Amino acid sequence: MTSAVLALLLLAPDPATLSRQALESAQQKDFPTAERLWKEALAASPGLFEANFNLGYMYQSRGDLAAAEMPLRRAVRSQPNDFNAQYILGAVLSKLNRTDEALKHWRLASALRPDDARLLQILAVEYSKGRYFRDAAQVAEKALASKPGDAALWLTAIKARQDADEHPLALRLAEKMAAAFPGNSRAAFELGYELVRAGRAAEGLPWLDRAMRSPTPWEEPFYFFGDTMLKEGRLDEAKRAFQRALELRREYMPAWAGLARTLMSAGELERARDVLLEATSVDATHPQPHLLLSQVYFRLGQEDRAVEEKEMSSRLRRARPETLESIPGRNFPRSDAAPPAK
Amino acid sequence: MIPVGLVLTGISLFPQGIAVADRPSAGAPVRSTLPFHATFTDVAAQAGITAKFVQGNPANRRYIVEANGTGVALVDIDNDGLLDAFLVNGSTFAKSPLPPTNHLYRNAGGGRFQDVTKASGTGRSGWGNGVCAGDFDNDGFTDLYVTYWGRNSLFRNTGKASFVDVAEAAGVAGSGTDWSTGCTFTDFDRDGLLDLFVVTYAGFDLKSTPLPGQLPTCKYRDKPVFCGPRGLPFGRAFLYRNKGGGKFEDVSIASGIRKPQGFYGFTAVAADFNGDGWQDIYVASDSTPSLLFRNNGNGTFSEVATESGIAFNENGTEQAGMGLAAGDANGDGTLDIVKTNFIRDYPNLYSNLGKGFFEDRAVIAGLAVNPQYLLWGAGLEDFDNDGLRDIFLTSGHVYAGDPAEPWATSRLLYRQLPGGKFEDVSAMAGAGVTERQSSRGAAFGDFDSDGDIDVLIMNMDRAPSLLRNDLKSSNHWLRVQLQGVVSNRSGIGAVVSVEAGGRTQTSVVLSQSSYLSVNDLGLHFGLGFTDRVDRVVVRWPNGKAEAFSGIQVDRPVLLKEGSSQ
Repeated sequence: MTSAVLALLLLAPDPATLSRQALESAQQKDFPTAERLWKEALAASPGLFEANFNLGYMYQSRGDLAAAEMPLRRAVRSQPNDFNAQYILGAVLSKLNRTDEALKHWRLASALRPDDARLLQILAVEYSKGRYFRDAAQVAEKALASKPGDAALWLTAIKARQDADEHPLALRLAEKMAAAFPGNSRAAFELGYELVRAGRAAEGLPWLDRAMRSPTPWEEPFYFFGDTMLKEGRLDEAKRAFQRALELRREYMPAWAGLARTLMSAGELERARDVLLEATSVDATHPQPHLLLSQVYFRLGQEDRAVEEKEMSSRLRRARPETLESIPGRNFPRSDAAPPAK
Repeated sequence: MIPVGLVLTGISLFPQGIAVADRPSAGAPVRSTLPFHATFTDVAAQAGITAKFVQGNPANRRYIVEANGTGVALVDIDNDGLLDAFLVNGSTFAKSPLPPTNHLYRNAGGGRFQDVTKASGTGRSGWGNGVCAGDFDNDGFTDLYVTYWGRNSLFRNTGKASFVDVAEAAGVAGSGTDWSTGCTFTDFDRDGLLDLFVVTYAGFDLKSTPLPGQLPTCKYRDKPVFCGPRGLPFGRAFLYRNKGGGKFEDVSIASGIRKPQGFYGFTAVAADFNGDGWQDIYVASDSTPSLLFRNNGNGTFSEVATESGIAFNENGTEQAGMGLAAGDANGDGTLDIVKTNFIRDYPNLYSNLGKGFFEDRAVIAGLAVNPQYLLWGAGLEDFDNDGLRDIFLTSGHVYAGDPAEPWATSRLLYRQLPGGKFEDVSAMAGAGVTERQSSRGAAFGDFDSDGDIDVLIMNMDRAPSLLRNDLKSSNHWLRVQLQGVVSNRSGIGAVVSVEAGGRTQTSVVLSQSSYLSVNDLGLHFGLGFTDRVDRVVVRWPNGKAEAFSGIQVDRPVLLKEGSSQ
């Protein structure tokens, strides 16, 4: 080694210093400099945790998920007991649609902080997506125990029990939530839903009514109330409820179908046809309006059009089989909208 | 511990072999507090009906053919006025010097039956499934057609207490490799000869069918089970036109019967559902849309179940349809349909709105309160003779081993109340109803001729149940037996309306119904307090109506076509 090179090495900052400088650059939003400094630090010391974690975190924050994975993996390799590294690596992998790997790191993170309610909630949601409903429910209730004042956690736990087909437990949770959050319209809806589902419509309908009176209404209570009324043959009430659901969410196809079926039951075939045609303009790829249109046209004596609609429905069903299959838990699509704040 | 590799399937549906609607109980259970006077006792053993049903290996059913069970029949084989019992048997993959066979029991009267299987010539072995009845040669004796995974049998009744299998000679034996399930005799061309409709369940053979768990369609709720029906090749429908002289011709393609694709067919019923005077055919399909073949009156059929509202449930979801009952449930003179389905679902009560348009009224009628039952056989009969048709259903799971979804379950009996609601009276209807079995087919008829409807039931791996109805009631009744002259001799497809006490009740003579089974071809009507029948109107399968008067109650009556005054 020449003396000149030796001098340069002695003058160069050590990796830890480089990493600190990089962090300062990142905090000042000078991301190119931060990236260069972290990379220099890692060239000298590839296992340096701070550099790996912060570089990965920066990439993740800036949306460069593919780049984030490798430094975060090196970070958890060097410090497997670091909660944040495990958690963020899980988040990156989840966003890369590699949830099985993500779950592995989230579980490790959860073992490091067993009472972290946010992580438990994430795990509950992910378990549900993977159809491990009972595990999801257990995790959700664990989260609830550490954060009982969090309404979103209650709803996660209720949904997990519903998905696990454990409706008596879901009902019990819904009763507790309604008592703990008396003004929460989502709690009122879940309780109303579970009571009606349990065959206790007389007790459940007032809770649905309470949910429908929410100052920030959403479509689900109106749909479910309408569906209950339709099943009981109370067609006028069903009609109004479905119409209100559609005012709140025009693309909510179950409500279109419910309204059309109500009109068909009432013998209002032309109106049912018009409603269904409107539904096809809202979602041209959903098979159900076409299925019902085939019945309406058949009853109206327009057999050719009935066959056309049947065939269209059949084609669309093949393309989107999930639309007309029931899912466990609620046998109608859940709203993706967040529950109304209360 | 969760198997990580399975966590992220990213799917929202069960990738499994059977359609499960996953529906909760819906609607309020009906509670009337009224007494129910019919109680049922299983008297099969004391009656001498003891043959055991065999359906594969009970300890390990690896193929779906081992799970679906068979049909039974209550028909008067020897014209002595007593209902005899025919049991279709399955088989086993195990080699046996004495393979299981069908059984025919002759009703000897006094509540006793005699096993005449051997002498009758009906004791064929094989993977039997369904049975349909009718006098295809119009010789006055009821013949039987039996479907198999394999060649089908047409047992011609010789009238001398014996049968001859004439399927091959008649041209209705099938390919020998099909898995035939539903069948029904029906005179679709109104020539007075019974034609034959047959449906197959699935393309099935041991070589190409995967074993439990090998494919997503070989799972149920994520657990490995036998494969199917989804994933198996679909079934097909056949129509054989009776040319006379004991010969049939296959008109499946020319008639349009072969056109629909994509179904797994089970029970078939033939009747004039749209009231146009021509016999239609409805098929309950498993995990696929059910089929309604509308008779166009010109030798062709159009499949219109979707348009008619009886292909799916009210949400448009495919159901695992098994059994069917047809008759006028609500007294409006049209033929309604009850269809049984898989567990976590409920039966359909397709109310006929006229002209063959249907609306499922199961929930509003109170029939959606027991989704924990996997249902098969169905009877729309008046069990307490009060003039309102009740519903009897058999149940039992296809998969064993899950305590949450038991293999053996009780029967269900819903009695109809004035106003059209149905009340679950199973717990009040005796040990024969609450008895837990994994049952399949059921046949309805008055085997002891005491004026009430009894039930013969197929039980998996066990002897059948013969439920004797011990009705304690002074309600009146009438049994109407038809004899066609211009129409087919059995009167299959005829619609009978009994006008009594200001009300009209309507029923239909069916060659097959319930689950792959045959009810008494005579029609039973409860009359309540009414002790006088104003008239009986028969709409014969040729489309002509005939009114009969001067009919006495509390007895069977034979109405011969063209004999009314």
